[in-house]
Order: sequence, then C-alpha cells, then structure tokens
Amino acid sequence: MKQVIEVSVVPPPLPQNWTPPESSSKSISPLVERKLLPAGHAYLGHVRRAIHKLSFEEHDKHAEEERKRLQALDGEGGIEDDLGVGDEPETEELLSLDPKEWKKQDHYAVLGLSHLRYKATDAQIKVAHRKKVLKHHPDKKAGAAGDSNDDAFFKCIQKAHEVLSNPEKRRQFDSVDPYFSLIEDDVPTASQITKARDPVRAFFKGFGPVFEREARFSKIQPVPMLGDVDDPKEKVEAFYDFWYNFDSWRSFEYLDKEVNEGSDSRDDKRYTEKKNKTERARRKKEDTARLRNIVDLALSVDPRIKRIKEEEKAAREAKKKAKSGGGAAPDAQQKAKEEEEKRKAEEAAKKEEEEKARAEAKKAKAAAANARKKARRAERAGAEGGS
Amino acid sequence: MAANGTIPNGTAETAKTQPTVVGINFGNSYASIAEGLSECIANEDGERQIACAISFHGEELYIGNQAKHQLVKNAHNTIIGFRNILGKKFSEIPKDKAVVSAPVIQHPDIPDEPAYRVQVLNPAPTPLPRSTTGTPAASNLPTPRSEPTPGETVLTVSEVTSIFLRSLVKSAEDFLGKKVTGAVLSVPAWFDEAQRAALEKAASDADIHVLQLLEDAGAVAVTTAVGQDTDLPVDRTQLVVDVGQSSLELSLLSMRHGLAYSLGTITDFSANGDSIDEKLIKFFAKEFTKKTKTPLTVCPATDNQDKRAEAKLRLAIEHTKRTLSASPGAATCSVESLKDGLDFTGSINRLRFDMEVRPIYNQIYDKVKELVESAKLDLYDIDEVVYVGGSASFPGLDETLAQGLSESVVTPFTAGTVIGGGVGDPTTILARGCALQAQVLSSIGHSEEDEEVRKAFQNDSEWTKAKATSKSIGLIFPEENAGEGSLGGQWVPVILKETPLPCRRIVGLQVEVSEAAKVGFEVWEVKEGVKIEKVKPPKDEDDPEEEKQEGGNPDEDDEEEEEIETKEKTLEKESFLTSLLFDVEEIEKKDGRSTARIEVQFLLGADGKLDVTAWEVKKSGKQQKATATVSGPS
Repeated sequence: MKQVIEVSVVPPPLPQNWTPPESSSKSISPLVERKLLPAGHAYLGHVRRAIHKLSFEEHDKHAEEERKRLQALDGEGGIEDDLGVGDEPETEELLSLDPKEWKKQDHYAVLGLSHLRYKATDAQIKVAHRKKVLKHHPDKKAGAAGDSNDDAFFKCIQKAHEVLSNPEKRRQFDSVDPYFSLIEDDVPTASQITKARDPVRAFFKGFGPVFEREARFSKIQPVPMLGDVDDPKEKVEAFYDFWYNFDSWRSFEYLDKEVNEGSDSRDDKRYTEKKNKTERARRKKEDTARLRNIVDLALSVDPRIKRIKEEEKAAREAKKKAKSGGGAAPDAQQKAKEEEEKRKAEEAAKKEEEEKARAEAKKAKAAAANARKKARRAERAGAEGGS
Repeated sequence: MAANGTIPNGTAETAKTQPTVVGINFGNSYASIAEGLSECIANEDGERQIACAISFHGEELYIGNQAKHQLVKNAHNTIIGFRNILGKKFSEIPKDKAVVSAPVIQHPDIPDEPAYRVQVLNPAPTPLPRSTTGTPAASNLPTPRSEPTPGETVLTVSEVTSIFLRSLVKSAEDFLGKKVTGAVLSVPAWFDEAQRAALEKAASDADIHVLQLLEDAGAVAVTTAVGQDTDLPVDRTQLVVDVGQSSLELSLLSMRHGLAYSLGTITDFSANGDSIDEKLIKFFAKEFTKKTKTPLTVCPATDNQDKRAEAKLRLAIEHTKRTLSASPGAATCSVESLKDGLDFTGSINRLRFDMEVRPIYNQIYDKVKELVESAKLDLYDIDEVVYVGGSASFPGLDETLAQGLSESVVTPFTAGTVIGGGVGDPTTILARGCALQAQVLSSIGHSEEDEEVRKAFQNDSEWTKAKATSKSIGLIFPEENAGEGSLGGQWVPVILKETPLPCRRIVGLQVEVSEAAKVGFEVWEVKEGVKIEKVKPPKDEDDPEEEKQEGGNPDEDDEEEEEIETKEKTLEKESFLTSLLFDVEEIEKKDGRSTARIEVQFLLGADGKLDVTAWEVKKSGKQQKATATVSGPS
C-alpha cells in the first residue's frame, strides 16, 4: 500500500548562499529491539515482505494484483451470493410451456436448477425463484413489444416455486422427477455384464450410477454405495443387507388423476379417490419390486460375491485338510486352490471336448440325413423315369 | 439452513464464498461478538454486551445477562468470573475474595483442578418403551417417577467456558444465518501460555476453530488502524485505557502505518469497574438508609438480607451507569423491595458521581503516568487515547486524564464515538478488532508459503521480532535568517522514532522555489524532548499571550496561585545524514509565491540503511529522481 503522507507546511525557498553540505559518514543511531503485535493488515504485509524477501515495490505489485483478483471475484459473483445457483440457458421449449399443463413440467428446469435437482437446498430454490421472477415478471414486460399479456412462463415459475418450496409437494415431485424417470430403466442386464470384455469393470460401471440414483429415496442417510472390488465380506454383506431392507420415501401422489372438484357427485369423487389410492399402491409395489430386481441382479453378477464364496470354500477345505492332514496346514489352502483350478480346467476341457463331439455328431447326423434324402429323391426320380 | 426433517432433499453443497469468521471479545465479565467492522452482534435477548455468566436453575440453563439476574436468588448455582481462572491450578487461585456466586471448589476427581458444583434437576426418565400395539410393554420394574430428580453436577472451568463460548457462537450463527468457520478470541496481555492453551482447548471443545488468540492491545490496534476517519496521523503513539470489570489494563502502543508494538503495559487489579460499582452501591445504600431509616450495610455485606439487597443494587446500577455515561443529567436507580419490602428510587448526577469515583480516576491517572515514565516518554508524546470497556465511557475519566495530555490528543470523546457509536466505541472496539483480524487471517491462502505466513501470527513467533528506530529522521529545508537555537530551517518529520524496520515513508508537499528553480534539503536525525516550564499564573486576565499558554488547565487557575507547568515539544539536531539538491520545472505561481510539488521517499532497510529519493510531481507523470544513500549503523 503506497501511501503518500501529505504535509501541509510550505517550506521557504532555498537561501541564495546555500550549498548542499558534504555528506557526512554518520549513520542513524543504533536500532532497538521491539516485539510487534501480530495483528492487522500491516503486520501481514510486513511478514509477507520478510518471508518472500520482497522489496516494497514488489510487494505493492503483489498487493495490487491481489486486490484486482478479489475485485474480479466480487464482480463475477455479484455482491450477493447466489449459493451456486448459476444461470442456465432457457430453451425455446421451456419458455413456451403451458401453465395449465403444470403437472407435466419439469419444475427444476423451470427454475433453472436442473443441475442440482433433488440436491437443491431451500435457500437455493429461493434464490433461483427470485432470479427468475426478476427476469420474467409481467411488469417487466409491460412496455416491451409483442404480446405483453404473455405471462405464461411466469405462471409456470410460480407453480414450480409453489411445488418446490413445500417440502411435502417437493417430495412428491422428486419421487417422479421426469429427468430420473427417463433414465430409471437404464439398468444393465445380466448378459451385458457377463458378456463384457471386463466383467468386473462393467459391473461397477454399470451398477454404480444405478445405486447412486436410487440412494436418494432412502429414508436412512447416508446410504452404503456399491464400493470396490476388494471390499471385505462384511462390507459387501452390509451393502446387500441395506438394499434388501431399503426403506423408501418414494410415493406416487403426484401422478394422481385430478378429482373433479366441481362435480357434485359424491360417488364420482369417491370412485376417483379410490382409484388413485389403488393406483398409488400398485405403483409403490411395482417400484419396490423394481428395486428388488435391481438388487437381485446385482447380487447375481457381483464379482465380489463369487470371490467371497470361493474364499469361503477354500477356507472350509483348508480347515478340512488341516483336520485330516495335521501339520500340512500352511500350504493346504494353496493346494486346494490349485486343485480346484486344475479341476476346473479339466472340466472346461471336458466340456469343450464334449461339445465338439456333440457338434461333430450333429454334423454327421445332418450329413447322413442329407444323403438319405438325396438317395430317396434319386430313387423317386428313377421310379418316375421308369414308369 | 432450514432442515428438511426426514426428507433427504436439499443436500447440495453451496458454492464456496468468503468464509464466515467472527471476532469474540471474551472478557472476564462481559463478552461481545462481531463480524466485520459493523456493529456487534446481539444475542437472542438483544444484548450486544453479553455478561459472562451461566446459571443453572432446575432444568433450565441461563447464559448471559439472564444468568446475572439469578445472582439475587440463585447465587450458589450461578457461575461468574470464570475467564480469569481459566487454565490455572486450584492452588494458584486466590481465595481471599468475598464471593457472590458459586464458589470455586477443588474438583473431586482431578487433582488440583478448580471446579464449580451446581444443583440441577435431571430431566425425568423417558416413559416406558411402548409395544407395537400401543399398550406399555410388560415390565416388572416399578413405575418410574415422572418428575425430574434433583442432582448435582461438577463443572470444570474449561467446561463452563465451552458452554458459554458455544452459546456465543450459536447466537452469531443464528444472526448471520451461516455456519461460523473460524474465530479470533481476545486475551488479556497477562495471560500466560497455560491459560492461552486452556482457552484454546475450551474453544475447540465448543467446536470453534480458533484462528488466533489476539492480545487486547492488538485488537485495538487493528480497529483503530482500519476504521479511522479522523485526521490522525498514520504514525502515532496510542494510549489504550482498558477499564475492565475486574482489572485495569494500560498499554502504550507505537502505531506506525498500522504496524503496532507495545512500548509498555501495566495491569492493575485494584482500579477496576468493580470498585466503581462498589462506590456507587455504597452511595445508593447510604441514600436508602437516609430515606427509609433502615440500616443497610453493603460492600461487604454480612447479613443475608443485605447480601441480597447488594445483588439487587448491583443489577440496577448497570442502567444507572449507562445513563451517566450517555447524558450529563441525573441518572436514576430504582429497585423494588430493596430491603424489608421497601422500594428505593434514587438519583445521581454526573458531578456527584465523579466526586464519588474521583479516587479511582486518580488511581488510573497515576498508573498512566507510571506507564509513560517506564516507557521513557512524556504524556505529551501521546497522540491518541483509546478507551476500552463500558467503565471507560465516563466523561469524568477522560477529563481527569486530559489534565496531563496535550490539547491535540484525540480521544473517543473528542471524536464523538462514545455516545454516537462507531469504530471507536469503547464497548465494541475489541470485538471489532478481533473480527477484522479474523478476516485478515482468513484471507491468507493455503500454499506452503502462506502457511509460513499464518504461523507468523502465532504467539511468540520469530517474525514478531523487529528492529526499530530510536530517533526521528526527517527533512530540514534551510531557511535564511534562521533564529538562534532553532533548527536552521523548516523541519518535516518523515520517520518517527520507534518505527519498526524495514519501513518506507513517502511525504508529499508544496515547496517554495528559489529563483534558480532548485529545491534542496538536508536529512537530519533529531532528538525529541519535552521542555517543562514553570510559570506564574498571570495577574491580569486579559493578556492574550499568556491566556493561550495556560489553556490546558482552565479549572485550576482561579483560586490557586501556584506555579503552572507548561510543556512544549522540543527538537534538537542530533546528526547530519545527507542532503539533496535538484531542479524543478513546473512552477506554479500564486499569491506572489512560486511553488512546486515534490515527493520524498525514505526507505529504511532492516539493517538501518537509509535510501532517500526525491522527485518532482509533474503533470506528465515523468519523474526525474534524485537519490542519496546512508549506510546503516555498524
């Protein structure tokens, strides 16, 4: 911080006869030792200069850069903190939404929160709503050219805010968030995993995002995630245990058919309500089954389960061997493994052979059949020619 | 933010912004908390000065001024004054003082550990676990009591501090709506290592990330260096008068461009806010006896009833003191049913109050003189007085100190911040300083070098050691027909004595230019002193010259025919260092004088090597520099 101290006195002009005296070889009086108070910007500057060995000019430059950086940072984010809501581009499609069809709209997209979705905090929703309102309020458009009465999108914004700012309504909407509904069925199949070139990698790559996606529905947080190939048995078991007893808050009220409020018919209303209720229950049941299927599927193709089973088997065998073999325990496990491998290889070879044999037999059979057919045809032709 | 209950929505991390850091002034009697330079944060009860007290009453826990009210009826469960004994061993605590609150006892389990024992009501046990059908599960236990059970709790001083600090930070978080990520706490200068460590531990137990423990004087320096809007010079000597409830702390600071160090500190436990309270309580008790003919002995009270009356008065005079410091009129003190069911209403004006507490003012004044003497300075060397604490807001104290100080001294009273609020407000200055310091610390990055910088803020860091000048250095512009005994020219100080090195000072000024269009000056080191003259007070009152001289003591001149001391700052040439002569081009003519604007830079390295650079400030921005170098002392 370069600071010029203003002195208000005006010194008189130099005397005519004054000549600069010869510089004396004197220096300033001896210095004294003092202990600074470690406080304030000035001390920070003092320490920075001392540690980085900067001269005053260099430090000025650094300080100026820092100040500019902070200013730029301030300018970027504005004075008010937007909590990371940001600015999403509004597509033509989004702007032409019909407020009457609000049930079908993506409320997060309307408020420009599609990058956060269910993760958005209440504060973020508030900020996003304010942002959108400032931009799309009908009052703002009053003087503008075109259809000044077009406040359709504003209504959509209000509806979206109404849904998202109410925890219960928001939960219902989050349950059937259209964005996730689209990718919900994007679950790898068993064959996709097993037939992949690297089944282990395919498993984690395929199922990781699926479980992450489903985890948001859990009433209990945090949710154990898929994890790693080398996870111990306990962790894997805990994972499947959790997911088989998954307690979901997902519900399907949002998809209810509107009860016709205008209708006087009580029966009509009750009928719709009943239908909605059964529909909700059905959907919930379906959803539970769906999740169960996913977990079942994951369990069936989990490379860790296979590994754990093998390990257990090996351990069992080793134990057995240790019981019978007595002292030959140390390499029993290895032996068991080797044996198993050998057996497996043999089995595979046998299978292959068998298959080959079978294929050959089939071929031979087909050839024989062919030959027979030919012969028969020739015979028939001969007979016809003869007659 | 608003929790969503069981619904796991809204878990997004918010974008990283400036961290929320606060400053906490943690005194022995009162604490305050601030963020930035703005006003202190009020707690839920709207108090900005939060009493350091916690009180247990049944199942309830009171913290702050609410707890202070418990001192009347529930004194044995009310804990006050815990900061001063934080980190001390039980055997180190003086036990001769009369206690009005929960006594400090030896901890039953930990050896030599001070603790408090309080009576509490433990909450009733939860009802029997219910079975799924809604009827209580079968049990052969007796039906549990549904009322809370009386019990006893032993709290260590550290635990008490944690409870209190947690509530402070909670208030701040509620007010700011953000999680507080770090805090700077103020500590008195006399806190030793063990006490600092204990405070740090108590704070971390309260989940507060302590950025620094800042000495009170440091907090004052930060506040006055940043939020200054008066015309005070950037290089000045500051007297900090901290009249706390339990101790008086005086420090003399050398402020040089915001860089401060202490020239001396005095802590005194006899002249404090408590003794002011005592005087005031005694005054009102006498008044009460006079009015109602009911005897009331207080400070110290022996009778139980008197004790309670004293506690009531102690609470009531808080308001009286505030009124006294804010307005010159009469301040009232009313207590319902002070003793024997008799109500009391009394009033005191500022003059009477000043008379009552004059001994304390004088005691403080004597301490100030002692401090200044020990620092080998004079009262006239003080450029600014900073008051800290509510008890320092009495104008009477300022008037007492002003006797000895120079007339140009700036105090919060002359700046109008005592009543008007603002940066110099004695009650908030420490918390603000801590908050600013917290901002400074949080602006430091996390690279390796920055960690080194951060370490420099720790107590007793190597970097706090600095060399400082012992004499002032400045310019002398030679003058024709300089008088006898004068310096032979116009003196312009540039680097004052007691300036930590390395330092840089640039002065800008208009100079009169000779016909040859040259500007020249000499660089001298000077010795400063204060000349004390004793003069007889003038017989005739209308001599204007003399009148001006004795203006410092207007109230003493009437009846006393004593000699009056007048002081004057003197300068004496010590050693000639160098000189510069250079041409100037852009000469401005005005009122028959031709002047030019020049700037002179003094760069004094850590080894005492002085570089003098001078240039003319031109409109084109071009600079032609003239330089001279003086080697440092060997």
